[in-house]
Amino acid sequence: MQVFKAFFKIIVKNLGQILIYIVVFLSVTVALTKLNNTADYTGFTETKVNIAFINNDEDSWLVEGLRNQLLKHTNIISVDDDTRKLQDALFFREVEYIVRIPHGFAEKFLNKEDVTIEKTTIPNSSREIYIDMLINKYLNTAKAYISYSDGLSGETILSQIEKDLAQETKVSMAFPTDNITLIEQRAFFFNYLAYALFAVLILGVSSVMMVFGKPDLKRRNLCSPLRQREMNFQLIIGNVSFAVITWLLLSITGFFLFGSYMLSLNGLLFMLNSLLFTFAALSISFLIGNVVKTQNAMHAVTNVVALGTSFISGVFVPQDLLSESVLRIGSFTPTYWYVVNNNTIANLVNFSTEKLVSIFGNMLIMSGFTAAIISITLVITKQRRTSN
Amino acid sequence: MVIKVKNLVKRYGDLIALDHLSLEVKEGEIFGLLGPNGSGKTTAINCILSLLKYDKGTIEVYGRQMSPDAYDIKRRIGIIMQNVAVFDELTVYENIDYFCGLYVRDKKRRKQLVDEAIEFVGIKDFVKFYPKKLSGGLLRRLNIACGIAHKPDLIILDEPTVAVDPQSRNNILEGIKRLNSEGATILYTSHYMEEVEEICTRIAIMDKGKIIASGTKEELKGMINSGERLTVELFKTDSSIIDGVLNLPNIVSAEFDGNLLIVRSIKGKNNLLKLLDYLKSRDIDVGKVYSEPPTLNDVFLEITGKELRD
Repeated sequence: MQVFKAFFKIIVKNLGQILIYIVVFLSVTVALTKLNNTADYTGFTETKVNIAFINNDEDSWLVEGLRNQLLKHTNIISVDDDTRKLQDALFFREVEYIVRIPHGFAEKFLNKEDVTIEKTTIPNSSREIYIDMLINKYLNTAKAYISYSDGLSGETILSQIEKDLAQETKVSMAFPTDNITLIEQRAFFFNYLAYALFAVLILGVSSVMMVFGKPDLKRRNLCSPLRQREMNFQLIIGNVSFAVITWLLLSITGFFLFGSYMLSLNGLLFMLNSLLFTFAALSISFLIGNVVKTQNAMHAVTNVVALGTSFISGVFVPQDLLSESVLRIGSFTPTYWYVVNNNTIANLVNFSTEKLVSIFGNMLIMSGFTAAIISITLVITKQRRTSN
Repeated sequence: MVIKVKNLVKRYGDLIALDHLSLEVKEGEIFGLLGPNGSGKTTAINCILSLLKYDKGTIEVYGRQMSPDAYDIKRRIGIIMQNVAVFDELTVYENIDYFCGLYVRDKKRRKQLVDEAIEFVGIKDFVKFYPKKLSGGLLRRLNIACGIAHKPDLIILDEPTVAVDPQSRNNILEGIKRLNSEGATILYTSHYMEEVEEICTRIAIMDKGKIIASGTKEELKGMINSGERLTVELFKTDSSIIDGVLNLPNIVSAEFDGNLLIVRSIKGKNNLLKLLDYLKSRDIDVGKVYSEPPTLNDVFLEITGKELRD
């Protein structure tokens, strides 16, 4: 196993450069994890919207009831009934919704006539629907009691409405122990792993392949009784060992950062995904190592490939923020599919067939990249051999 | 016969690098392949080692057709390339161990062989050095150690002394003679005629991909008409002296190089005495006098019409 041993001696000689990438990766991920874990997410917190409530009608139990109901879920801000002031209040977000009860509203409502409440909102406000729902819920309930409970006093109806609307549905969060920060950290860790893996593998593998590809050494090795097949086998074993060791070293950090989570199904999927990506990155590194001839070119290619694919695939910038055309280009790299899987796995709660098929489908695509790139490399090396 | 090359032809497009080259290397000899740069020596070696495909001819090593997968033959060959072929990332010891390990799997035996090779080329003090820290001469010695550590029966050295200091050169040449005395057959290529003359038992002179002459150095020198080269220091230089010298018997050429009169003669007796008699008759004072027998360069010059180092 002379070639295999020489492989790792060359790696050790280049360890300085490789360690830079590993140390940067570990520092960045550990720092982000340790510094950014304070914002706990408890699952659901009700927020109160600021609204203005203007009553142009006479005081009545119906309008007072509506006001009280809204007060439970919103902050009613006092704003003068002046068009300019109301517009300013909306513009400066002092209020997001203005409810105006028109004159004669209560009377018409009790007489079962068609009535409407005037509303003014910030355009495209998502909270508008929420307030609409609150108002509609109150008025619909009131309408039901007025229509079908003849003879009930206003106070009785009001107390019934309040009782009905006080009923709540209990909601259980699907991942009660987790928080958004942790989910983001896991996704970030494994996404950033792509860059570190790529950089380390390209540097390591191409350093060795360049040495064995030097014409004088190549010819010298060809003069030896070592069969070409055995030499290639030892090189491949060396490459795969180096890739697996790198993957273990980098991904094992995940165990220190995320503990027992890494033994969960999510953690195992993360590991499997990163292992398959490692092989895809190894195949690209192997291709580069066979094509690149100088140290300078190797460093340039390392930066272009590792950084370039990371940028267009959503390693540094979330895929949601990348344009469609960038993502389309990114989808021609294994990094893209790796990141898609990481983001899915990070948020995976329900291990449905649909989700798992999607994840394993992406893993297959990555494996396809590996097979295709290795085939291209073999074709190139064979062509070179025969053209000599 | 260790190596038998017959009618070897290698073309690079229109350029004929080897033109029906034939040679035979016998067991136990040091066979020198002498020729100027570009004469085809390295191409011939590469073909013999199956590193290059050739267009025509046959190559047999140890009686068998040489081919890229003739691993049992390769096991018996040690190769020292023209360019130093070692790993910059491995130490001197690790390099020798790597190349020896391609031939010898047994660790214990290998260690012994590596130590012997280190001792043989005299680089014991540098075993932990990386090649880039070595001088040109030491690097060449490392290259040789890598090629001979497994104790091959046939050692092919392709210009092993290029860009080497005199001390290392002597060390290398002495080492080759020792290897030969220990039983190894040597195929040695060089464009340094002095080296080839010093160590080779048989020599083939190459030019333009062809063997133009071969034999022992005495046989080669016997093939030409050139006799000795006479050099006489004169205290007076006059063109009439040249005319007079050229009229002497057996003299082929005469010229001044500063105050040195350089005369070439064909084979014959008493050429130096006749020249000195002539100078005395002209009352010309003479300083130092040298008489040198013909060299391989003279052989090359007479056959090709050009200097070996042109």
